[in-house]
Amino acid sequence: MDIDDHEITIEELEMRYTTSVDKGLTSSFAREILERDGLNELKPPKGTPEYVKFARQLAGGLQCLMWVAAVICFIAFGIELGRGNLTSFDDLYLAIVLIAVVVVTGCFGYYQEFKSTNIIASFKNLVPQQALVIRDGQKNQINANELVVGDLVEIKGGDRVPADIRIITSQGCKVDNSSLTGESEPQTRSPECTHENPLETRNIAFFSTTCLEGVATGVIINTGDRTIIGRIASLASGVGNEKTPIAIEIEHFVDIIAGLAIFFGFTFFVVAMFIGYAFLEAMIFFMAIVVAYVPEGLLATVTVSFTSTITSVCSTSVICSDKTGTLTQNRMTVAHLWFDNHIHAADTTEDQSGQSFDQSSETWRSLARVAALCNRAIFKPDQEGIPIPKRIVVGDASETALLKFTELTVGNTMDYRNRFKKIVEVPFNSTNKFQLSIHELEDPLDLRYLLVMKGAPERILERCSTILVKGQELPLDEQWSESFQTAYMDLGGLGERVLGFCHLYLNEKEFPRGYHFETDDMNFPTSGLCFAGLISMIDPPRATVPDAVMKCRTAGIRVIMVTGDHPITAKAIAANVGIISEGSETVEDIAQRKRIPVEQVNKSEARACVISGGQLKDMSSDELDEALRNHPEMVFARTSPQQKLIIVESCQRLGSIVAVTGDGVNDSPALKKADIGVAMGIAGSDAAKNAADMILLDDNFASIVTGVEQGRLIFDNLKKSIAYTLTKNIPELTPYLVYITVSVPLPLGCITILFIELATDIFPSVSLAYEKAESDIMHLKPRNPRRDRLVNEALAVYSYFQIGAIQSFAGFTDYFTAMAQEGWFPLLCVGLRGQWEDVKLQDLQDSYGQEWTYSQRLYQEYTCYTVFFVSIEICQIADVLIRKTRRLSAFQQGFFRNRVLVSAIVFQLCLGSLNVNTLGYFLFRVQWWFVPVPYGILIFVYDEIRKLGVRRHPGSWWDQELYY
Amino acid sequence: MEDDRKGSSEWREFFWNPRTHELLGRTAASWGLILLFYLIFYLCLAGMFAFTMYIMLLTLDDYKPTWQDRLATPGMMIRPKGNQLEITFSTSDTESWDGFVHNLNSFLSPYNDSYQVQTNDECTPDEYFIQEDSGEVRNNPKRSCQFNRTILEECSGVWDRFYGYDKGQPCILIKLNRVIGMLPGKDRQSPYVTCAAKREDSDKIGLLAYYPPNGTFNLMYYPYYGKKAQVNYTQPLVAVKFLNASLNTDINVECKVTSNTLAAGSDRDKFAGRVSFKLRINDK
Repeated sequence: MDIDDHEITIEELEMRYTTSVDKGLTSSFAREILERDGLNELKPPKGTPEYVKFARQLAGGLQCLMWVAAVICFIAFGIELGRGNLTSFDDLYLAIVLIAVVVVTGCFGYYQEFKSTNIIASFKNLVPQQALVIRDGQKNQINANELVVGDLVEIKGGDRVPADIRIITSQGCKVDNSSLTGESEPQTRSPECTHENPLETRNIAFFSTTCLEGVATGVIINTGDRTIIGRIASLASGVGNEKTPIAIEIEHFVDIIAGLAIFFGFTFFVVAMFIGYAFLEAMIFFMAIVVAYVPEGLLATVTVSFTSTITSVCSTSVICSDKTGTLTQNRMTVAHLWFDNHIHAADTTEDQSGQSFDQSSETWRSLARVAALCNRAIFKPDQEGIPIPKRIVVGDASETALLKFTELTVGNTMDYRNRFKKIVEVPFNSTNKFQLSIHELEDPLDLRYLLVMKGAPERILERCSTILVKGQELPLDEQWSESFQTAYMDLGGLGERVLGFCHLYLNEKEFPRGYHFETDDMNFPTSGLCFAGLISMIDPPRATVPDAVMKCRTAGIRVIMVTGDHPITAKAIAANVGIISEGSETVEDIAQRKRIPVEQVNKSEARACVISGGQLKDMSSDELDEALRNHPEMVFARTSPQQKLIIVESCQRLGSIVAVTGDGVNDSPALKKADIGVAMGIAGSDAAKNAADMILLDDNFASIVTGVEQGRLIFDNLKKSIAYTLTKNIPELTPYLVYITVSVPLPLGCITILFIELATDIFPSVSLAYEKAESDIMHLKPRNPRRDRLVNEALAVYSYFQIGAIQSFAGFTDYFTAMAQEGWFPLLCVGLRGQWEDVKLQDLQDSYGQEWTYSQRLYQEYTCYTVFFVSIEICQIADVLIRKTRRLSAFQQGFFRNRVLVSAIVFQLCLGSLNVNTLGYFLFRVQWWFVPVPYGILIFVYDEIRKLGVRRHPGSWWDQELYY
Repeated sequence: MEDDRKGSSEWREFFWNPRTHELLGRTAASWGLILLFYLIFYLCLAGMFAFTMYIMLLTLDDYKPTWQDRLATPGMMIRPKGNQLEITFSTSDTESWDGFVHNLNSFLSPYNDSYQVQTNDECTPDEYFIQEDSGEVRNNPKRSCQFNRTILEECSGVWDRFYGYDKGQPCILIKLNRVIGMLPGKDRQSPYVTCAAKREDSDKIGLLAYYPPNGTFNLMYYPYYGKKAQVNYTQPLVAVKFLNASLNTDINVECKVTSNTLAAGSDRDKFAGRVSFKLRINDK
């Protein structure tokens, strides 16, 4: 951020923008600037036109192949038509089906892309409509898009900030920056520059944030795309949308398939030309091989049932998590109390199921009284039925925490306050750093006033002369001061926000009833008070998070906390949830323990590391990589959302697959850059949700881990599903190869192949998605994206050359059986192709001496298609059964536990026999279903043997070659 | 560029890694082992394939196919047969019909009377020549009936060496496809062939003469017992002679078999129980 407008004086600012903080710009000058800078609007970046995106979906590797195949079909059909042969519409049907497949899968792909690229749309509704501007000393209401740099504008509660504004005057102005930074607490805006970082300083209000209360005037320092949010918007659209790991895997797989299809097709094209086929015939072979080899149904199956983003998280190896709201409950809660020289732990669980502390002490009663009275927060009315922690409170975070705490421990706080009638109060401000109020006592006979005060502990202690111990007021001597300091340090070390509480009974003689207390002059004592105790608050971790972090550890996933919070708080929470595990030390811890300077500590000894945003700014990317490599447990504190992007990039350089959580607009670049961007469903801004790959509905970190578990399961199942789908491509391909090389009558036609691909095999391959995990998948390391591919060599080789080969043999056995039973013995079939396909030959002799017309032979060929189809179906049933498991025996996994799979098999059989009985306009014999059964059994038994070997001899040759 | 070079060297390394002596990612021993595995695997598979094929072949009958439903209506075919089903010639141009005559001569040579008398029996006309097996005992070889070339009379090529082609009165032989066990007629009624021109050519076709008379396929030539059992089976023929077909014009002729047992062929098969061809006789 190269902004220094917040650091310069008002005069310099006036000079810079030739404006005046009283009168604003002159109208004519404003017009000039408007012409120079353009309208104050966010311009959507030039996107790719929609039709190009759609066209791209239709022009992938496989799609191109299928287009080529379809064109060849059309040409073949055209030539047949030209020859006057009107009977053969197969080529036309084939072309239409191929085009339909391409278009339908293209639509799916386009829809998915469409969903993920709508980021700019969400910025549009952040832009305010009207703004109050002072020009020529006159207040005018103008359209916000006509504002220019240097304009003096006025904002009030409820307005959207119309541009980036340097605040000149402010009366209690508070803004909601949540859309920008994700911080949900209202931020005060005042004229003073409080921080060198423009995002942190109080005197700049940002475009598109909302002014919650108060009034402010300011000078516009940036408009349109030059505003902070405009830059983020262009940054977000500038960051390449990283493809999710699963998309990369599928692309990789599709590339292989397309490559192999072209290779096979081309080889056989050349072979066919060499053998002496005509060019067109060779092209048709090419087309048929492409159709046979490309798994047409797979793209649709995968897009429909598997590419839910949940699959993407499976390979996550690093999770960069926010703290607030994700790891924690996002509500300040009283965690500890210090009184009677003891630190007492309060119950911080979400449902108040934890242990409470001893409340019998007199001191506790006084402390609770101060906490209850010196508190301006109130419950919103009509919330009796709601559990206390969930009730809505009006007031700031610490007061809310205290109110809920007293409500839980003391009881009806509102009633309690009524009994101690409040006379006067001094609210908290940054100079005093305390808040006090004066109350009448509960007992109407006691005419003393009670002064209660809370504030920064050291300031409170300064004002105290006595301390309450076990109900006794003792003088506050050195010893007590020291124990106070120890307690304060301890609580602070836990990352908790500590407040001190004290009180004083005002003498009824000096301050009789009706005494006029002046809050400005403070005509009452504010020192010599009696110290009651400390209460510390924290945003406690969610109950499920430590378990989830533990699970991540066993699953080899590294959890990195990235937060805007203070390092100490961050570290405490990290330690609390297990991101920093027990016994892990940071460099600073070791230095402290060994009493040596930080520089002398051996950095490799420190497992944990806390890096603040300030340190991060000074680190080179190499140093950051180094730190991430050396310290397995990392916490980044006080980071800006921009730094999140740097951290993500660094993790990715180290080869990790990074999941990032985020909620603010500012997070959207990091969310886009991450392999898996996770937006918060509740706290997240629309921009973040649009940039994300996944939305966490409950904002809970544990859900990410559940997602990883689910994702790993689906990844495994996707692998099985693909293995299942790939296998049948071999028995679809071999008929062509044999047809071309050995010249048997064609055993399997293209339409039948498409029927297998697009109808009967779809359901079993989808049903594998419902398979249960084979083992505890959360005890395995995340997959290495370079080595553990979705489709690896072993999977392809096993599917193609072993199971696929068995299926081919099954098909040919059934084919030769059907041929032989009709009179065509296997040896006669070899080399028969030329005569068989001769349209003019009406009396071809079979092995028995019978003579066949062309049509009779053609019907016989159709029977063969069906027979081959049936064989593939039977073998695919065996195939889906073996694909249920990769390592376990199918008997261990259970045959009927996956109900979907069972019904898919039944469905497949029904669809298959329907096809056999309707599409085949001829008799089909039931016994042909049984011919391939031995091969089905062979597939099952062989795979059981394979799995047995893999289980018995892990790491052996067998395991290496045959486990996929 | 650097990436490219890195990529290509990676590929080269993958193809042949001199450090580890790996070809395509495997050492020689590894290649040997995996190839051995696949050799055994495929040998076993081939063995299983051979075994199942053997079992399948055992179930087949040597003399009759398991199923014949594809051949419910037998196909028909004409002779002489060229590349197309077209008989086009000029009466004056000997070369144009010489091929047809040769074709017919060679086709009819097994029908020579001398040969037929030698190998085949004389059978009772209009009756099936049934030669049943008695249970497991095969009644083989089965005898066949004589179909003497002279039955075709004018179209036998015995008296008219050129089958009428030189005179513009060509003979076309028609045969019914062999189907094992087919019984093409009942009640002593033999199936017969009728030829007619397609609609628009009906006035061009002229008179036709059928040999044997009425164009019948006599029942005594049926049933057929397959080429293994009935080695010398002689397929009956019907000859059609076009006596005064119009010259210099295409005539589309369709010949049909009429039988009281065979199902009429479906529309899908243009050659089941019928045959169509084009005839064109030029005078120059």
